[in-house]
Amino acid sequence: MEIFLVYLKVFAVGGALCALGQLLINKTKMSSARILVSFMLLGVLLEITGAFDYIREFANAGVTVPITGFGSTLAKGALEGAKEDGLFGAVTGGLKAASAGLASVIFFGFVFALIFRSRSKKI
Amino acid sequence: MKKGRQSFILDRPVYFRSSCTIVGPKESEGNYGGLFDMVLRDDRWGEKSYEKAESKMHRKAVEGALAKSGLSAEDIDFILAGDLLNEISASNLAMRHFKVPFLGLYNACSTFTEAVLLGSLLIEAGAAGAVCCSTSSHFASAERQYRYPLELGNQRTPTSQWTVTGAGASVLTATRPTMAEREAGEEKFAEYLGETAAEERENCGKLKKLAKNCAGKYRPDYAVSWRRGEGGRKCAVRVVGGTFGRVVDLGIDDESNMGGAMAPAAADTLLAHFEDTGATASDYDAIYTGDLGRFGKQALEYLLSTQDVDLGDRYHDCGAGFYTPEQQTFQGGSGAGCVNVTFNADILRRMERGELKRVLVLATGALLNKDTPLQKETIPGISHAFVVEAEEIAEEE
Amino acid sequence: MIAKDAYKRYVEENSPKSPMWRSMIAAFVVGGLICMAGQGVHDGIAAIFPQMAEEEVGAWTTVVMILFGAFFTAVGVYDKLGHFAGGGSIIPITGFANSVVSPAMEYNREGIFFGICAKMFVIAGPIIVLGIVASVLVGIIGLFL
Repeated sequence: MEIFLVYLKVFAVGGALCALGQLLINKTKMSSARILVSFMLLGVLLEITGAFDYIREFANAGVTVPITGFGSTLAKGALEGAKEDGLFGAVTGGLKAASAGLASVIFFGFVFALIFRSRSKKI
Repeated sequence: MKKGRQSFILDRPVYFRSSCTIVGPKESEGNYGGLFDMVLRDDRWGEKSYEKAESKMHRKAVEGALAKSGLSAEDIDFILAGDLLNEISASNLAMRHFKVPFLGLYNACSTFTEAVLLGSLLIEAGAAGAVCCSTSSHFASAERQYRYPLELGNQRTPTSQWTVTGAGASVLTATRPTMAEREAGEEKFAEYLGETAAEERENCGKLKKLAKNCAGKYRPDYAVSWRRGEGGRKCAVRVVGGTFGRVVDLGIDDESNMGGAMAPAAADTLLAHFEDTGATASDYDAIYTGDLGRFGKQALEYLLSTQDVDLGDRYHDCGAGFYTPEQQTFQGGSGAGCVNVTFNADILRRMERGELKRVLVLATGALLNKDTPLQKETIPGISHAFVVEAEEIAEEE
Repeated sequence: MIAKDAYKRYVEENSPKSPMWRSMIAAFVVGGLICMAGQGVHDGIAAIFPQMAEEEVGAWTTVVMILFGAFFTAVGVYDKLGHFAGGGSIIPITGFANSVVSPAMEYNREGIFFGICAKMFVIAGPIIVLGIVASVLVGIIGLFL
């Protein structure tokens, strides 16, 4: 039962974030890159204010799977780096924490682009 | 002869001798499906890229129109061609295959009417006896150049249009084609289709893996049905004049709302045409705009209503009517191929059958590239118009 | 003819709009489902490797979700999902993967160097650049906290 509740919260919060994004698309005609950037910066903001941890405790993947999670990882890494290694950590920390995501997206992008090609659409 | 500010009337008539159209699979399921000379089952046509496929379509359309005209490449004095790709590369690359002087044109989606106007003026001036006018556009190559990668999962806005995958070519001559010449042309075209089909089969054999993709499906139905005499032709279509458009910009900056951006240009050219020639809307059996789309059509009607001009039921838009609503294209078709294949496959043939006598075709183009909206430029539009008339051919000719 | 601003107003008022509720519900449902899939991946990894630290599980979840996004882009499913769901498939990390893989695939005809590698970030570039700039700024602020 408890696990059911966890997934329900994930669904609700994740869905709400995406619906908010759709609202922005409908209202402002933002392109997908702009939407992604604004939500990532939202994640950074939530992380430095400390709100992100509370939301994550409540919604788990509902807030880490959206691109807000990527922003929070970057900000969290930078803050931790600054605490541990001073200026050097402040500069490298964010990228270090986000390296798993960045490395995998570049690697998979390269490999799939070698194998597949884009197709024309009918709708 | 110059007429008014922007218009001219030809002193000697220039005739549409033949035309050829090629479209992709989605287009063949649209409202004009079944009217095109060739239909591709796969819009990459066995090529490595969509740009190459577009260039191949362009070349085949010109070859097809030449075959149907019964003329050889030596008889054609100029080819006037254009498309939407960077530096009109689809036309440029296609023209390598013709030993004919080539004039490259670009006026976005209104390139076809521009080519016909210039071609008929060249013929009238005696600089040419026969010219070929062709344009092409391709959904996949236009999408990548003007918008986003095909596989990007974003939504198209409700004001957007669908670039028509299509190429078309028309041969214009100073002399009126006789029925016998037309019959001979259709024979030659059937022969050409056979050759192309054989060539395709050979290519498929070489690349067995691509066989499924590259067998273009040919439907020369029209030629067949015409030879049986069903709804046969009785008219020749001639260009009688036209109006060159000015660049008009009413400050629309939404690159996904081309109809709104181009409608003022269409209104400007149309009003100039009426003023220069003294004609009114009721002088035409039909008035076609190029690819304003459903909203653009509405915007043009609104703009004209502020000037007390009412086009009525005779007004159609090639783009708005191109696809069926079920095909989910929002505003309809667009692209340099849109007005071209609609004119060559539908309007021209209805005129040849005598259903329409006098038609005004007003193609519109949005003059932007990928960078101008980023530099905060608004989108200017342009529109060129030509007038065509059907002229009955007596039986004995 | 008509004045510029009058025409602009006409276009703004009369051009067709996105169906607000339908698109938002589609975004909500699809986005929610993708997040649930992410939670499932997370819980699965945590169950298989019970000793793994929470942060590492999170990182692996990101990698797996990116793999999913990249794969469904490559086989031509993600663009259809995006056509239906809009924001629902853009905002999850799978949408980020889609925005990297789709241009890479689109430009692979121009070769590996100036096609795939150079064009890979035409859409995702701003996300990565602004993300890194923001993280450095946050780190420097962190020095004074």
